[in-house]
Amino acid sequence: MAIDIAGKKVFTLREVAQSIQRTLNERYKSTFWVKAELNKLNHYSHSGHCYPELLERIEGKVVAQFRSVLWKGDFDRINKAFNAVLKEPLKDGITILFEASIQYDPVYDLSLRIHDMDPSYSLGELERERLENIERLKKEGLFTRNKQLEFPDLPQRLAVISVETSKGYADFLKVIDQNPWGYKYFHFLFPALLQGEKAVDSIVAALKKIKHVQHHFDLVLIIRGGGGDIGLSCYNHYDLAREIALFPLPVLSGVGHATNETIAELVSFRHFITPTETATFLLQCFHDLSVPVENTFEKLRTAPGKAIRQKHEQFIAAVKYFSLSVRRTLDSQDQFTRQIPQRIQNTERQNRQLLRQQLDTSTERLKHSGGYFLIRQKTLLDSYEQQAKMLDPKLILKRGFSITMLNGKALTESMKANEGDVIETVLFKGKLISRVETKKK
Amino acid sequence: MTKKPNYKAALDELQTIIQDIESGNIPVDQLSEHVKRAAELIKTCRTILRTTEEDVARILEELESSEST
Repeated sequence: MAIDIAGKKVFTLREVAQSIQRTLNERYKSTFWVKAELNKLNHYSHSGHCYPELLERIEGKVVAQFRSVLWKGDFDRINKAFNAVLKEPLKDGITILFEASIQYDPVYDLSLRIHDMDPSYSLGELERERLENIERLKKEGLFTRNKQLEFPDLPQRLAVISVETSKGYADFLKVIDQNPWGYKYFHFLFPALLQGEKAVDSIVAALKKIKHVQHHFDLVLIIRGGGGDIGLSCYNHYDLAREIALFPLPVLSGVGHATNETIAELVSFRHFITPTETATFLLQCFHDLSVPVENTFEKLRTAPGKAIRQKHEQFIAAVKYFSLSVRRTLDSQDQFTRQIPQRIQNTERQNRQLLRQQLDTSTERLKHSGGYFLIRQKTLLDSYEQQAKMLDPKLILKRGFSITMLNGKALTESMKANEGDVIETVLFKGKLISRVETKKK
Repeated sequence: MTKKPNYKAALDELQTIIQDIESGNIPVDQLSEHVKRAAELIKTCRTILRTTEEDVARILEELESSEST
C-alpha cells in the first residue's frame, strides 16, 4: 500500500515490482514462439541451468536483447534433440526458434523462460549459412584456390593439425609409421581443438604457425577421428575455410563423417573420411613413386645380360652372313671363268649363223627383185611400141585419111594454095594429081 | 638445411638408362658403366623414400623466434 510522505504518494520498490508482475501475468498468460539469435548460451555445468543471452540484429546492429532462462530439464531435452537433428549441441551463435513465456521476478528482473526449441529451424539456418559461405568463397575466387596448388613430387614432410591424445591421430601415426615397406615420413604435430565452438580460432592459429615454418613441410593435414559426428559445424565457418583455401601448401583433411561435406573439406586440396584413409593415401603416393624404381631394379638384373646376348647374336649372324656372301661371290666368279671358252664358241657360232642368214636373205631378195624389174621394163616397152604403131601415118591413111601435098610439102591450110596450083593427094594406096579450082577458108 | 636429391629427377634418369639398355642403344663397352649408374640411382631413390632429414629442434627454434617477434 502506498504511504503519504510530505504530500506525495509513495510506493515501495516491492510494491512496484509486484504491480508489474501482476500486470504482466494478466497480459501474457500463454506461451508464444520467438525467433532470435542465441548470442551466449551461458550454461552452468554445476547446476545444469542455462541463462541464454538473446539478440536480434539488423545489418549487424543490435536492435533488441533479452535475458532468458532455460532450466536443466528443458535444456537436457532440447540439447538431445539438437544433437540428433543438427549433429551439434546447443551452442553460441546459432539462430533459434523457441517457445517462451514472459517471466518477471521482483528480484531477478524481466526475462523470457524458454520451454522448447525447434532444432530443424536451426538446422535450416545453419545450412543457409553454409551455402552463403560457399557462395561467398566462390565469388571471392577462393573456393578452388588450394586445389590449384601443385601436389609435391615427394609428399614426405607433414605438418599435422590434430589432438595429441585423440584416437584419430593415433590411428594415423600407426599407419604411416609402421608401414611394412619402411617408407619414412617426417611429421610434426600442431595441436588444436578440432570440434566445437573454439575449433575455428584454434585451427586458424595452428595454420598461421605452420605458415612461419612452411619451408620445412610438403603438406598440411587436419586429422580428426573418434569424436563422433557431433560438433562439426565449425568446419563450415567462413574464417576457417578461407584460411585453408589460401594456405600456401596443399591441405589434406580427414575430419570425419559429416552428412554434408563441410566447407573446410570442400576447399581442401583433398579430403578423406578417416585419418586411416588419409594415411593410406600418403602410402599410395610413395608406392606410386617406388613401383617404377623396383621395376627398373628387376629390369636391371636381366637387361644387361639380354643386351650382351643380343649383341653376341648379332655378331654371330654377321660372321655367318659374311662367310656366306664371300663363298657365294667366289663360287659365281669360278663358274664365270669356267664358262668363258664355251661362251666364246657359242658367240662365234651365233655370229656365223647370223652372217649366213643375212647373206641368204640378200641373195633371195636380189633374185626376187631382178625378175620383177625385167617384167616391168618389158611391159613399158610393149606399151611404147603400141603407141608408136598407132602413130604410123600408114595406119592413119589406111583408115581413109589422106595427105595433100603442094610442091613436095604437106599442105595444111587451104590459103597456102592458089587456084590453078597442081596438088598431089597421097592415099593409102596410090596418088591423085589434081588442079585447084576454088579455095575456101 | 641440406637439399635432398630430387626423387623425380633420379627416377627419370634411371628410366632413360634402362630404356637405352633394353633397346640396345648402349655400346657393350659402356654397358657396365650405365648399369653402375642405374644401381646408384635405385639406391638413391630407395633411400629418399626411407629417410628424413628434418630437424625438429630447428623447427621449434624457428617457431619460437616467430612468436617472440
